[in-house]
Amino acid sequence: MRIFSFHLMPYPALPSDYDGPAWVTCPNSLFDAQVGHEVYNRYLDELIYAEELGLDGVCINEHHQNAYGLMPSPNLMASILARQTKRVKIAVVGNALPLYDPPTRVAEEFAMIDCISGGRLIAGFVVGGGPEYYSFSINPAHARERFAEAHDLIMRAWTEPGPFEFIGKHFRIRYVNTWPRPMQQPHPEVWIPGVGSLETMEFVARHHYAYMGIPYFHISVFERTFKLFREACEREGYEADPMQAGWLVPIFVADTDEEARRQYEDHFFYFVKRLLPGINIQPPGYTSVRSLESIMKGAGTFALNLDSWDQVVEGQYAIVGSPDTVTELLTENLGRLGTGNLLGLFQLGTLPLDLTRRNLELFAREVMPRLRKEFPEGNMAAKPALGVA
Amino acid sequence: MSSVGLSEERIDTAVGKVQVWRAGTGPPVVYLHSAMGEGPGLAFLEELAGTNDVVAPVFPGFGESEGIGEIDDMEDAVFHVLDLLDQLGLDAVPFVGLSLGGWMAAEVATRYPERVRRLVLVNPAGLYLPDAPVTDIFGKPPAELAAIMFVDQSHPVAQMMHALAERYDDPASMSEIPLELLLPMVKSMSATAKLAWDPYLHNPKLARRLRRISSPTLIVHGSGDELIARAHAEAYAAAIPEARIVDVEGAGHMLTLEKPAELARLVREFLA
Repeated sequence: MRIFSFHLMPYPALPSDYDGPAWVTCPNSLFDAQVGHEVYNRYLDELIYAEELGLDGVCINEHHQNAYGLMPSPNLMASILARQTKRVKIAVVGNALPLYDPPTRVAEEFAMIDCISGGRLIAGFVVGGGPEYYSFSINPAHARERFAEAHDLIMRAWTEPGPFEFIGKHFRIRYVNTWPRPMQQPHPEVWIPGVGSLETMEFVARHHYAYMGIPYFHISVFERTFKLFREACEREGYEADPMQAGWLVPIFVADTDEEARRQYEDHFFYFVKRLLPGINIQPPGYTSVRSLESIMKGAGTFALNLDSWDQVVEGQYAIVGSPDTVTELLTENLGRLGTGNLLGLFQLGTLPLDLTRRNLELFAREVMPRLRKEFPEGNMAAKPALGVA
Repeated sequence: MSSVGLSEERIDTAVGKVQVWRAGTGPPVVYLHSAMGEGPGLAFLEELAGTNDVVAPVFPGFGESEGIGEIDDMEDAVFHVLDLLDQLGLDAVPFVGLSLGGWMAAEVATRYPERVRRLVLVNPAGLYLPDAPVTDIFGKPPAELAAIMFVDQSHPVAQMMHALAERYDDPASMSEIPLELLLPMVKSMSATAKLAWDPYLHNPKLARRLRRISSPTLIVHGSGDELIARAHAEAYAAAIPEARIVDVEGAGHMLTLEKPAELARLVREFLA
């Protein structure tokens, strides 16, 4: 299995008297550039530290006009990481393709990062969150079409000799001839995150890419999601490889279960109550009618509804506790979900530097070796039983 | 004046089969609905059917009408309306349109003035006025939408939106909203987004084309409309050669729902 450290790069200093959404309309007068300076550098250090501790990769993502994650350009962060790390995979999960016009920009920048890093890029493509369609005024009713077309253009730019002409409905380029080209051939590994939309799963299955389950739902939602994804692969005529699936989850390790909760709970709830509000806005046309039903089934368990720590524990919204507890819960879930990639959020909300570092250290020293033993590379011991959940 | 119940027809068009609500006999009049997709059971149409052959097509993507996949913008919408007129054997006909439907009727009238005998624009969208921007309807919870759209919050449709809102306020119960209640709204808003997400509920080129409208035009403004300010009615009236404004007191944006009898009377007088 592969273990990644995923960073959202949250804004940790929303004033306590602000109770509005963290997205789209969250006033940017609340942004303090001094805080920005400090956390950008600190968060990068935390990702680099994951390499030192022996994790397999780091993940970053793209969001706009929000306090939830300060990475409108994950490619800037990835280019820094390409220079400041030497070994780990750098997963940009991903670039929101419909927002790039022309999308050859993504082909160019990803190829640059892949070359600079010596072929360590994992190329993530996303449709973009609902809020992004308000922040960019891009028509959400065209989101899926633009995504599919941009994807085709990028993959052709990487794999077909240029120059060639691309005439699509949304993007038209007379001379596609991307310089540079990626170092990994025929192209970097592709990851696509999703929240349960059937179209996304079918797209990933059709192209043999990897599907990353977005967190913040009850664990039962993940079981359903990965089951649907495996079924989508079966419909394409093959059995999903565990490496084609990734589970993204907040993780916090301390010496004991009690200490873990005491140190973590407030920081977690800053994330849930201050940074999540507004993320769930669904612009019209963004979700197809057939996917709506599937997504609605999970909506009731969305983390925004969490009120008590008992609910967090029960639904496994975060894996929190002593090294033994965390190992046990992760082992059980990884086996059950059948995911070959674990994407841990080791920093969340207002979790400070010292606790984040200690969390990473304990995880790497006490938990990771046991997970690696349980799930040796390229051979997921516990294949999920069909028909789970 | 007696009112007549609407019956449904299905018409084949270039983009697919679409629903058309129809009632009454007499001179035909076409009604183009708003982003809400109102039509079936609409008292205004039933009133008007006492004197006219009322033709109320359901736009692709709304109700059970097919073909939204083939339509990307207002340009495509205009061609769909033309196609419908041809299919229905309507050569030149009066149009009544509410909000989005008013905008659509005005777009048809700028391009093909010979197909529009009379034009009634009820709280029409379609223009951008920097000093009176149209309130955002996308992403608003139903209770807020109801407050913007209706003067009378006890109107059954406003009541339904408030009932839905109670579920919205508690995210945990969102997943318990029956899909059949949510679906019509989701479909209407998705189809509206195709035409009106960006530019938001307007066509930047429309204002300077309005001079081409040759039919007499009545612009009806609900004095309680909090979505589209009266300035929009005034801009339409100033640009269309033969146009005048009528204000309806006690009506909000959804004027055809809130003042069906009064609007039917106004339209009947105007068409006479």
